[in-house]
Amino acid sequence: MSYLLPTLTTKKEVDTIIRDTIDKVLVLRFGRAADTVCLQLDDILAKTAREVSKFATVALVDVDSEDVQVYVKYFDITLIPSTVFFFNAHHMKMDSGTADHTKWVGAFHEKQDFIDVVEAIFRGAMKGKLIVNCPLPPERIPKYQLLYKDV
Amino acid sequence: MATLADSFLADLDELSDNEADVLEEENDDVTNMEEDIDGDLADIEALNYDDLDSVAKLQKTQRYIDIMQKVEDALGKGSDFSNQGMVLEDDPEYQLIVDCNVLSVDIENEIVIIHNFIRDKYRLKFPELESLVHHPIDYARVVKKIGNETDLTLVDLEGLLPSAIIMVVSVTASTTSGKPLPEDVLQKTIDACDRALVLDAAKKKVLDFVESRMGYIAPNLSTVVGSAVAAKLMGTAGGLSALAKMPACNVQLLGAKKKTLAGFSTATSQFRVGYIEQTEIFQTTPPALRSRACRLLASKATLAARIDSTRGDPSGNGGRSLKEEIHKKIEKWQEPPPAKQPKPLPVPDSEPKKKRGGRRLRKMKERYAITDMRKLANRMQFGVPEESSLGDGLGEGYGMLGQAGSGKLRVSVGQSKLAAKVAKKFKEKRYGSSGATSGLTSSLAFTPVQGIELTNPQAHAHQLGSGTQSTYFSETGTFSKIRRT
Repeated sequence: MSYLLPTLTTKKEVDTIIRDTIDKVLVLRFGRAADTVCLQLDDILAKTAREVSKFATVALVDVDSEDVQVYVKYFDITLIPSTVFFFNAHHMKMDSGTADHTKWVGAFHEKQDFIDVVEAIFRGAMKGKLIVNCPLPPERIPKYQLLYKDV
Repeated sequence: MATLADSFLADLDELSDNEADVLEEENDDVTNMEEDIDGDLADIEALNYDDLDSVAKLQKTQRYIDIMQKVEDALGKGSDFSNQGMVLEDDPEYQLIVDCNVLSVDIENEIVIIHNFIRDKYRLKFPELESLVHHPIDYARVVKKIGNETDLTLVDLEGLLPSAIIMVVSVTASTTSGKPLPEDVLQKTIDACDRALVLDAAKKKVLDFVESRMGYIAPNLSTVVGSAVAAKLMGTAGGLSALAKMPACNVQLLGAKKKTLAGFSTATSQFRVGYIEQTEIFQTTPPALRSRACRLLASKATLAARIDSTRGDPSGNGGRSLKEEIHKKIEKWQEPPPAKQPKPLPVPDSEPKKKRGGRRLRKMKERYAITDMRKLANRMQFGVPEESSLGDGLGEGYGMLGQAGSGKLRVSVGQSKLAAKVAKKFKEKRYGSSGATSGLTSSLAFTPVQGIELTNPQAHAHQLGSGTQSTYFSETGTFSKIRRT
């Protein structure tokens, strides 16, 4: 499962990979290896990593390590798992009908869903957009409640 | 070749069909025949068919008897390898082998001659048999078994022929047009059959002897195909050097049997393989790869024969390496194909869509193209309010439709672009014909629907069409306005 995908534990590694992925979508999953939803997501990521390899790279970031807490705070990652997309070191946003456009929260239902999302991001990025629309119908998008402070 | 000429001449003799003539010749020529010792070069003009001995002389020749004697001795003696060091050509055994090869070819020719003889004699009794049973030895056996019998149910042909052929033979015999033979002819025929069988046995003996010595004469060839098959190949080819000179495709077909149909379809009959079929390598390959294996074997066997004919490798190593090669190749063919790796998806939008073109596509696009009528309806004249379907600006507007002064909404069918090209060519041809138009053309147009119209509706259409196509640049257009001055 997760041994097929590179796991990043230090800030330096995350930096390097963001910098070095050129002309390919970079999919960074922030999560724990023990969480069930995370495992589900990891399974899908691992199975599609090869198919999508021509236009995307997939990597896992362990949210429990101290080094990457900077990123956790920066991206405001509270719910596990969260997936952030990059293209040529730009952070790509996606409007999937949820409140948070900067990341994708939760797992995917199927491999094809994930491939569709990555392809939408790629096309949008190639056109020069920084935010794209989600191609999935709303029933395929995992719903979650954002926890606000002081609510 | 003498035998072929013999058989042709035999056929010619048949045509003349005059036994009396032949009998007269016999007395003159028998004396000539007995002086002629060389068995192969038969005197062609002096063939006669009543006496078997004058036709099939091989068994009487000294040469034959000598060689057979030696072969018997050698077979009894067993192999003797003490003379390895000697140069091969001086070895008397090698000489014997060479003689044996030539002899086996001669015996084969002789058998063919005898077969023809038997066939001609037996034709009076059972003409269809020769087309049913092709092999000369089988034919001889069957003839011997049947003899003068008319009812084939009394004759047991089991073991001589495959059962299907026995059945066909029995059926054909019941309806045959032949008559029983006279006693002396019958006797001669049976004698000839016996002679053929004896020759066949002799040939077998010779081949056995050659086979036992095969490892010594042609070690490489025997390693590749096995000594029995090697002996047979050498025997049929007529010697090791003859075998070496043959191209591999011929070697493949040495000893190939002719197909005996007997009512079976040729769809299942095997491809043409000869003695190679009996090699161990061939028998152990799966049926799917057999034809490739046969070709491979034939080519390697030819190489081995060539090595042997020049005595290039007396130890047999060349043959062993060839055999290894063959095994390796056959194994490689049987390997399963490499497992398919799932291909990653192609980058989106990297491969441009292949646009098609051509007449077919254009015709299809025409069905959805915007018509002239719609184009006219989309445009409006300046300063002229357009008419609408419900009147007064309500409903769909008609634009320039119906405004060319005719009051009709009907627009003639615009010519498609393809037809326009054709029309243009046609017009050029017509106006280029030096004004010699036929006297029947007129400016009146007759339409079957509206009867006689005084104005040419084509001119009218042009006017409307000009709303959508600019006539300024048109190649077929005429002057738009001619002012009389």
